[in-house]
Amino acid sequence: MTKTFKIDGIDVSAADDQTILQVARERGIFIPTLCYLEGLSFVGACRLCVVEIDGNPNPVSACATFPQEGMEVRTNTERLQGYRRLILEMLFAEGNHVCAVCVVNGHCELQWLANKLGMNYNSLENFNPAKKVDASHYRFAIDHNRCILCTRCVRVCDEIERAHIWDVMGRGVNSKVITELNQPWGESLNCTSCGKCINVCPTGALFKKSKAVAEMEKDTQFLRYFSNLWEVEK
Amino acid sequence: MHHILTKFSNHEGTPQDIALLERLCDMVKYTSLCGLGQSSPNAVVSTLRFFRDEYEARMLEMEGAR
Repeated sequence: MTKTFKIDGIDVSAADDQTILQVARERGIFIPTLCYLEGLSFVGACRLCVVEIDGNPNPVSACATFPQEGMEVRTNTERLQGYRRLILEMLFAEGNHVCAVCVVNGHCELQWLANKLGMNYNSLENFNPAKKVDASHYRFAIDHNRCILCTRCVRVCDEIERAHIWDVMGRGVNSKVITELNQPWGESLNCTSCGKCINVCPTGALFKKSKAVAEMEKDTQFLRYFSNLWEVEK
Repeated sequence: MHHILTKFSNHEGTPQDIALLERLCDMVKYTSLCGLGQSSPNAVVSTLRFFRDEYEARMLEMEGAR
């Protein structure tokens, strides 16, 4: 059954299995996301896609909410812009995001989004956590300093490649993505080295070896049905 | 949040820190997915509402420094 509702005053219709975000994307309405990737399940982890619904005091994540008949959604109010900005600042403060020495400098979704949302400085103090790099795999490496825990790699490995070598361990600021049962990536017997996780990673956390600063470009075309916001906008 | 509160307990807070604390609490409260996230800033929000004078008393003494 088709449902009709409003996004920013525009009348739109949605199929039963479509979320607010998918409908907005179809109509070319911009909602920033980092964890959502078309073709994968949604988790609503990054909270950047929060939208306001009339009559609901709490904003909800557009990627994980199905529209209801007659709903009125607002995607870009001043309040939401403030929340998104602060969420981005927290992402930057929590890791060690140094664009100048990053392999994906210029090809990074986090960097692009910060630019797009006008985040020109960070009002929060950096945590400067001591995080590790695992380069034990023969082709790829993970730099936890740049990881924003969007869990795209976890989902793509589980749902598309069906290997499920990625998982999330720990809580709060101590959480990190792990391979197998927190073993070095290179020792993983189940990793098929397909490289899907590398290409879905929105930052430079997962990268191919032997790439220098700004040399690593994500090949998002290798899985045709994936489309991320960045590609759509370009 | 903890970091900012620690600043206040060490008499190192600034008016900007109160504003930032309010912004942080508001954001965490309204964008959280689960009930824990939605209610955990309440503790800080309550202290800001009822014991604001204590925050102000524990600010960095700018006038005195000058």
